[in-house]
Formats: sequence, structure tokens, C-alpha cells
Amino acid sequence: MELVVFVFAAAMILVGGLGVVLRSHPVHAALSLILTLFGVAVIFVSQEAHFLAAVQVIVYAGAIVVLFLFVIMLLGVDRTEDIKTEPFKVQRPLAIIVGLGVIGLVTAAVITSRDVVATRGAGIAEPAMTDPDSNIRQLSRSVFGDYVVAFEVTSVLLVVAVVGTVLLTRKVKPASKESQ
Amino acid sequence: MSALIAAATPTTTWYLVLAAVLFGIGTVGVLVRRNPLVMFMCIELMLNAVNLSFVALAKRLGDMVARPRCSS
Repeated sequence: MELVVFVFAAAMILVGGLGVVLRSHPVHAALSLILTLFGVAVIFVSQEAHFLAAVQVIVYAGAIVVLFLFVIMLLGVDRTEDIKTEPFKVQRPLAIIVGLGVIGLVTAAVITSRDVVATRGAGIAEPAMTDPDSNIRQLSRSVFGDYVVAFEVTSVLLVVAVVGTVLLTRKVKPASKESQ
Repeated sequence: MSALIAAATPTTTWYLVLAAVLFGIGTVGVLVRRNPLVMFMCIELMLNAVNLSFVALAKRLGDMVARPRCSS
């Protein structure tokens, strides 16, 4: 059963990922990204990370992809990129070599450290199956307890990003300057 | 054949390999595509691959924080 779920979710993820890279229209790429994100959410459910799966669907598919589509349609970049021509002859084979190298090296590392991963850790004190809320409780304990400093620093980072966006996109109007 | 399928349950290694493949696809996308928005989408692919490996390790190690070999 878990195998069937894994195979279907992996197919969704890989088809979506290839669609993001290969589809020349940005809207199609965004829709392929939704497919990938739903596949990741399915795998989260099968790994008993139910809260993360819900957050994945709400935040990624509901907010981030919609934001992407807004930007595509507001900025008017929804024209088909000519994917056949490449500006540099070397770029595409080099990129494929780098990608295959990343995949190969990480896969080799995972397979060689198979028995390290197989050692079981201390274990969850309250398994997710007996207590449906334990998922959320553990997450909130580690986010607001052990790692609260990192959490707050992340929020500072977000504020910096918002302020930077406002500063960078502000246009100084010369007419309003003269009137002052 | 059906017994073979029933016996093959995906281990953590499968999930980690899937995450590696997704990360590689994202890397190729960032390097190949020229539209900056699509490059951001490929960065999202890479982020999701890392999330996938985090969740797989958290499930396997029985620890939400998923630090291999540090907690034990």
C-alpha cells in the first residue's frame, strides 16, 4: 500500500518538476509546480506529517503559486519563452552535467550511508497514530521552545525583505518633489 | 509478483533518493531557464526537495528535529 502511494506521489513530483523546467510558458510551469507540491503533500501524509501536509497545501499551492500567477499576469511576462534557442552553446550541456552530478553524488551518499540512517533515534515519546494532536504539539514545542531564537531571527529577516521590497520598488516622482 | 510488490515497502533511502532527484531537477532549471520567475519556481522545487528529506529523516529517526547522529 505504501509502495503504491510512493509510486504515484513520486510520479506526480517528477512529472511536475520536469514540467516546471521544460514547459516554455510560465503559466504552465506554475501549474506543473502545483502538481509537484501536491505530490510532496501526499508524501508528507504518508510519512505521518499531517500538519505539514496541510500547511504545504495551504501555503504553497494556495498562496505562493497564486502569488506567482499574480506576478505573471500583472507584469505581463506570460509570453512563451523560446526554449529551443540557447544563448550560450555550453550552458545547457553544462547544466545537465551539473544536475546529473548533484543527483549522482547525493544518491551515492544516501546509499552508502544507508545503515547510518537505519539506526533508530531516541523515538517520538508520543506516536502520531495514538494521539492525533502530537504532530502539532511537537512542532510547536520545537519551534517556540528550543528554536525560538532562530524563529525570531527568521521573522526579522522577513521584515527586512518587506522593507527592502518597498524601498526598491519606490519610484521618486520628480513632480511631487518640486511641489514640496 | 504481487508478493514481491507487497514485500517492497519504500524505505527512507527511497525518499531521500527522490528528494535528490527533485533537487537535481531544480538545479538544472535554475541553470537553464532565463525567465527569473521560472528560476524562482525552480528554487521552490529545490526547497521542497530539502523539506522532503527533512520529513523522511524525521520519520525514520523518530525525532521531529531530524538531526542524524547528534541526538543519540
